[in-house]
Amino acid sequence: MWKVTLRGITTKKLRFLLTASSVMLGVAFMSGTMTLTDTVRATFDDLFRDINEGTDVVVRGVQPFESDFGDVPRRPVPAALLPAVREVPGVATAEGLVEVPYAQIVDEANEPVGNPGLGAPSFGFSWTDDEDLNPMTLQPGGHAPAAADEVVIDKGSADAGGIAVGDTVRVLTQQEVKEYEVVGIAKFGAADSPAGASIVMFTTEEAQRINNFRDQYSSIAVVGDGSVSQQELAERIARSALVGSDVEIVTGEALIEENQDQLAENIGFFNTALLVFAFVALFVACFIIYNTFQITVAQRTRELALLRAIGASAAQVRRSVIAEALAVGLAASALGLGLGILLSVVLKNLLNTLGFDIPATDVVVTPDTVVWAFVVGLLVTVLSAVLPARRAARVPPVAAMRDVAVERPTNFGRRLLIGGAILALGAAVLVYGLFATPDDAVAFIGFGAFTVFIGVFVLGPLIVRPVARVLGRPLVLVKGVTGTLARENAVRNPRRTAATAAALMVGVALVGFITIFAASAKKSIAHAIDQQLKSDFLVQGGTGFAMVPLSPTVAETMRTVPELSVVAPVRFDAVLVGGEQAFVTGADPATSSELVDFDVREGSLRDLTADGIAVSERYADDNDLGMGDLVVVTFPATGDVPMEIEAIYSRREMAGDFLITLDAWATNFLPQQQYDSLVMARLAPGADADAARAAIEEALEPYPTAKVRDNAQYKEDQAASVNQVVNLVYALLFLAIVIATIGIVITLMLSIYERTRELGLLRAVGMTQSQMRSSVRWESVIIALLGTALGLVIGLFFGWAVVAALRDEGFTRFAAAPGQLLVIVVVAAVVGVVAGVYPAWRASRLDVLRAIATE
Amino acid sequence: MGPSGSGKSTLLHCIAGLDRLTSGEVWLGELALSQLSERELTKVRRDQVGFVFQAFNLIPTLNALENITLPMALAGRRPDDEWLDRVIDTVGLRDRLTHRPSELSGGQQQRVAVARALASRPQIVFADEPTGNLDSRSGAEILSFMQRAVREFGQTVVMVTHDPIAASYSDRVVFLVDGRIVDEIHDPTADSVLRKMRELGD
Ligand SMILES: Nc1ncnc2c1ncn2[C@@H]1O[C@H](COP(=O)(O)OP(=O)(O)O)[C@@H](O)[C@H]1O
Ligand SMILES: [Mg+2]
Repeated sequence: MWKVTLRGITTKKLRFLLTASSVMLGVAFMSGTMTLTDTVRATFDDLFRDINEGTDVVVRGVQPFESDFGDVPRRPVPAALLPAVREVPGVATAEGLVEVPYAQIVDEANEPVGNPGLGAPSFGFSWTDDEDLNPMTLQPGGHAPAAADEVVIDKGSADAGGIAVGDTVRVLTQQEVKEYEVVGIAKFGAADSPAGASIVMFTTEEAQRINNFRDQYSSIAVVGDGSVSQQELAERIARSALVGSDVEIVTGEALIEENQDQLAENIGFFNTALLVFAFVALFVACFIIYNTFQITVAQRTRELALLRAIGASAAQVRRSVIAEALAVGLAASALGLGLGILLSVVLKNLLNTLGFDIPATDVVVTPDTVVWAFVVGLLVTVLSAVLPARRAARVPPVAAMRDVAVERPTNFGRRLLIGGAILALGAAVLVYGLFATPDDAVAFIGFGAFTVFIGVFVLGPLIVRPVARVLGRPLVLVKGVTGTLARENAVRNPRRTAATAAALMVGVALVGFITIFAASAKKSIAHAIDQQLKSDFLVQGGTGFAMVPLSPTVAETMRTVPELSVVAPVRFDAVLVGGEQAFVTGADPATSSELVDFDVREGSLRDLTADGIAVSERYADDNDLGMGDLVVVTFPATGDVPMEIEAIYSRREMAGDFLITLDAWATNFLPQQQYDSLVMARLAPGADADAARAAIEEALEPYPTAKVRDNAQYKEDQAASVNQVVNLVYALLFLAIVIATIGIVITLMLSIYERTRELGLLRAVGMTQSQMRSSVRWESVIIALLGTALGLVIGLFFGWAVVAALRDEGFTRFAAAPGQLLVIVVVAAVVGVVAGVYPAWRASRLDVLRAIATE
Repeated sequence: MGPSGSGKSTLLHCIAGLDRLTSGEVWLGELALSQLSERELTKVRRDQVGFVFQAFNLIPTLNALENITLPMALAGRRPDDEWLDRVIDTVGLRDRLTHRPSELSGGQQQRVAVARALASRPQIVFADEPTGNLDSRSGAEILSFMQRAVREFGQTVVMVTHDPIAASYSDRVVFLVDGRIVDEIHDPTADSVLRKMRELGD
């Protein structure tokens, strides 16, 4: 029996390889992702250890709360603590350090160095001469910053901006833009900069000035004299110094672990996102494995029956099919793992060229990755082959005398019932997950989508014939008998065609869904802008979703432009409201309500005080709140602050659910959070728009990250940002499409093999080679279009459901994006043509006589 | 006629442009087949030659009429309707035209194949043991259709057969042994053919 299995594999090498490759690609993507994240994590684990090696204890402010909306900075520590800490026995040295959250270098050509908002971050900190506490090393020829207008910058930025010691640079921070002399260039260990970040090192006083710190530090770093453990030293400091509740004390070791955990969490998110796509790819591969085995079992019916007739048991037959699947899975896993490791190296280099400078280290392949690669590869293959194996075992010995490979007639009613039930269940779970938003909404949505696919897959064979008939009609008209043959061949084995198309369906459905989702997002954003924005210009740090802080001096500068009548800066940041994570908008109520149509329902924005808050009608309704009620907002600087509702507005797309005054912002946010997110402006009556724009741009020349946009451009920017995300998703889904294409190739190859004699006959009665190729190609196109049609229907459903569910999150408009969906159809047709190339060539090269003679 | 392995099928394939010669020439009317490209040969098969095989003559996805007109459809030509009607009536398939091969009996399938071979008015029709898989009644039907094609339409038919009775439908029987023509009979009867075969068998 094993011999038969083995022979089967070795004689059908190409089919074996193609089948394995579908799983292999999925496994490669999975193990590549895992290897990449493990490698990056290992690299940074080392890095954090290096940075913090000299630090024994850190005294720092508490983090007021955590938020998924961004890093919430820690509160500063009073400088008065420093002398007290220095007094503690066991402390060798202690330094006050200041971290500047945003410091962007601008080079001679007035270009920001690096990739503001998109690439690695730009920040600053205070220079310390203590080598134990300073992770950076000055390069020869430079010195530490000694005056308020002197800085040291990292070598990566110096190289990127062509900056040398002695040059003057401008640095954008939350203060007014300022010129500094570069007095030194520093490296980060062996690297030019940490992970490609751009760093400016100021004097401590200058860093404090930028952060609006008054006798405050971000933290106090302590080096012990070695007499006691880090733990003991930390405890001593905690006991002796004037430590308030605002301060926490951690050991260097804990800090390293914390950094590492933080990174692991960030990477974990990235890792999960990529693994989702690996899962999609493997899901698609399941269809292909299933289909391939199903077809080969059908084609081998006679052989299997013969085996049964000469005494093989049903179990033996079943095991022989499973054994073949095991072999496929094993090959796919091993090759996939190898390819994945290669892929991780490629991706890492790609990240490096994008500006995320990941220090060179060895690729880290953990045992986990290897185990997962094999477990997943084998499971996917073997499970997909279970049904075909059962079918093989059911072949009766008498089938040896019957004709081959005729598909059993489909039991229409039963299939409709089962498929319909699965589909309905999937749709119900999906809709429940989306609209009822249970705790594990994502799990419900994922499972629902998965089940919808399975349901359509089961229903597929029933749909194949009618849909292919419709799709094939124009083909028959144009191509005549070649077209008829293509169409009829596509539907002659409905189950086979359905399974092949299903693989493509999954990818197309997701692509279609993303397309619709993105189009709806763009339309909703554009609608919100049209409806609510009454300003003429918007100034943003960077473009699109990338928010780069703007110094409040940008708005001040704009106020000096005579062509503008109203200038309103706006801020967004993370807070907790009633203990829930939220975003709050800070704006001057008078000016901003002139520039944004909030549609105020109760109260008046103009009368908003520093102790009050304006909330959206939705928030008020959902929480049974009204005018004069108190809302507890947790701010970074002041903690829980009860604020009175002084206005209620209905249009929440621009400002979200909460709006406070700039005065409230100044008191409740930390001193280093006093920057603007964007500035809106209105043209003075009678002023010319072009002239105004030129005037703003000239005034803002010292702030090259500030981009002046009119409303149309602002819409375009937002759309471009959506497109960026969508393109990334497209790229990741490309893998699923490739695998589906392989599936079409395999099916066609097997079908052609099965039709050898028929193809020979066609050639004998006068079909030319090119007609033969054309016929196979069109068959392929029909299968591809069938998968696409099913996929688009599902994609439309997903898109509609998700957009409808997100109505309250600003998805007020649904866009079916017919143009883009048409592009998908065209791409699918091309996929069909490409998938058909090799099988068509093989078919046309069949030796006519051998084909006729084939028994 | 000739014993199994004597080269009957090979000869037929060569004349029909299905097989290539190692040496020698094939002339089909005015055409030297050995000088033609694969493309031109395909056209010859489509336009000048009709072929009936022993089995698996039809495309299962096409119905009877589509199978009959297949060579013309491949050539992008409209069939001559009057002629087509005559052929269809001759083989008696009028009420079976929309059936798929799987819905036809073996004899009916062969009749469709004969109709296909005749429908494009080829110079010559080749039939390789066309009755080999049929019961004697269906076989006799097929043979008489082909005979009518010769008598009434002036169609040239070359047929390979094992069966002396089948051979007796023809005007001339050529005997092959080891790839060579060794003898022939004009106006054969089943008896004369049988006798000749015994002779050659010895
Ligand atoms: N003229 C020939 N020269 C060389 N080999 C030949 C010739 N004719 C036939 N053969 C070979 O003899 C074998 C049997 O021929 P085939 O045409 O199938 O015989 P038949 O149809 O009479 O049973 C084939 O392998 C073929 O290649
Ligand atoms: Mg023969």
